[in-house]
Amino acid sequence: MTTLGRTDVQPVIRVRDLTMAYGDVDVLRGIDLDIHRGEVFALLGPNGAGKTTTVEILEGFRQRSGGEVSVLGTDPERGGDAWRARIGLVLQSWRDHRRWRVAELLTHFAAYYPDPRDPAELLTLVGLTDQGGRQVDRLSGGQRRRLDVALGIVGRPELLFLDEPTTGFDPQARHEFHVLVEQLARDEGVTVLLTTHDLAEAERLADGIAMLVGGRIRACGTPAELARRAAAQAEVRWTADDGTPRRERTEEPSRLVWELHRHADGPIADLEVRRPTLEDTYLHMVHGEADGTDGAAGTYRDADEKAPAA
Amino acid sequence: MTNRTNSWRAGLQRGGIELRHLLRNGKEMSGHLTNVVVALLVAAYVGDDVPGTRTPMTHLVLAGFAAYLLFQVGLINLPQILVTEREEGTLLRLRATPGGIPAYLVAKCLLVVVLAVGTLALLLGAGALLADGPLPHGPGDWLTLLWVTALGLLAVVPLGAAIGAVLPNPREALALIMLPTMGLLLTSGTVFPITALPVPVQQVAAVFPLKWMAQGLRSALLPDSARTAEAAGSWELPMVALVLTAWTVLGFLLAVPLLRRAARRESGSRLTARHRKAAQSGAPVA
Repeated sequence: MTTLGRTDVQPVIRVRDLTMAYGDVDVLRGIDLDIHRGEVFALLGPNGAGKTTTVEILEGFRQRSGGEVSVLGTDPERGGDAWRARIGLVLQSWRDHRRWRVAELLTHFAAYYPDPRDPAELLTLVGLTDQGGRQVDRLSGGQRRRLDVALGIVGRPELLFLDEPTTGFDPQARHEFHVLVEQLARDEGVTVLLTTHDLAEAERLADGIAMLVGGRIRACGTPAELARRAAAQAEVRWTADDGTPRRERTEEPSRLVWELHRHADGPIADLEVRRPTLEDTYLHMVHGEADGTDGAAGTYRDADEKAPAA
Repeated sequence: MTNRTNSWRAGLQRGGIELRHLLRNGKEMSGHLTNVVVALLVAAYVGDDVPGTRTPMTHLVLAGFAAYLLFQVGLINLPQILVTEREEGTLLRLRATPGGIPAYLVAKCLLVVVLAVGTLALLLGAGALLADGPLPHGPGDWLTLLWVTALGLLAVVPLGAAIGAVLPNPREALALIMLPTMGLLLTSGTVFPITALPVPVQQVAAVFPLKWMAQGLRSALLPDSARTAEAAGSWELPMVALVLTAWTVLGFLLAVPLLRRAARRESGSRLTARHRKAAQSGAPVA
């Protein structure tokens, strides 16, 4: 699905028709993914879209209902310790090892891996050198999360999972975190799969984005491709003769406007042509899902009007 | 093979670090020390001899508390640690680490054994010094002390692990296990002769390991003449071994699948919690 032109090598993550159901509830309804070595891939979607479920299946923490999954060439349900050692995880809600000191904890977790990073260098990499002797529960939220990242990469993983990595960060901490992830991918060739509900974060970090809404992937590609696709259908708005506001989506806005003019034989009231941004498309998909309609099928309704009050 | 040695090494390292944290944690240490102090105070307070013998009551009480403190390490301290670490995500992190779960178990065993043996040594040592408490006489008694302690721990530790694997959260956990444990403390003949209790109560208490742990420790710590005060008029050591072994087997049968399930379900419960949190804070969907 990610059209990065690297079909010659086996992808790091390969998913075909992945489904997941809890009882009668379908959480994932047939997901396909290919994520290649060294790629930063964002799984973007609102809360409850199935991101965490997808990632937990890939991490081997959850049994899928159906479909094929291969992570680093292995089915996660059968991944042993050797497989685990090649994967790093940074989850949302870790509050563990509160009493441990930062450097002590990193040094301890290095002991589980065959070729670990040097804990001191790792502290420098995540910017926690000054906090090495501090107790874990005295760290700030951002520092704690960077420690989680350090623990996630202490074993030199080939693949790193980041689950909502910057939730609750201030802008500065978020920026520093983004730089760190870019560095890992660029300098060390780590493949990164991150989940987020923040489009800006996905655009900033990811080489590939899959938009997951309602258990389906609604769009997938590079940020540039997605933006181009989003802009392909322009929206034309105007006010009709009887005073009702009208809107229409078309690939040829110029032709529509031309025909409107010919039809009206004069100026058109409140005429406006908009090229939707990626954000418009994303919000539209999300709201379409909230309304119970299939946003991707082109039954375009105005997100602003239809969105239920928060 | 190297994986296995690595897990052992990591587990022992982990256990050592956790012990150091425990020793440094004033609140938790004072909790453990308070238990010992209370036991010593109660033992020093009781006068007289055990009825029908010339063994001071103090000795019976100290032997009983020794058994109770072992019992407590396995059935209160251990489940509390497990529930807390489950909730904080320690178990999940180790699950995500190669060889992490075996290392975790090694570390917890080390922690529990050191905690139990340390408490026992402190109680008996301080008891002997300050309250003229009992100590084993001769190698036979020491051997009995050793095997009753070991088997007693084996009987309660897997059981405690199983409890820690199913209890919902640290707040409720304590309330749920405290009451039955205190009940057993009073009905198992630990702090006064069991024969003072009605026979049905004795029979119920005899199902649980605490009565047998206390009886085994009395046989190691009290003079042989004191056995006339036992319900059966003897120490019943084969019965002690049998009951404790039965609890060990039962404990392992329960603990292994329950711990597996707890480790497996870790992410599941987390997901629900997260969803609930998301719903409460007004997810961006709406």
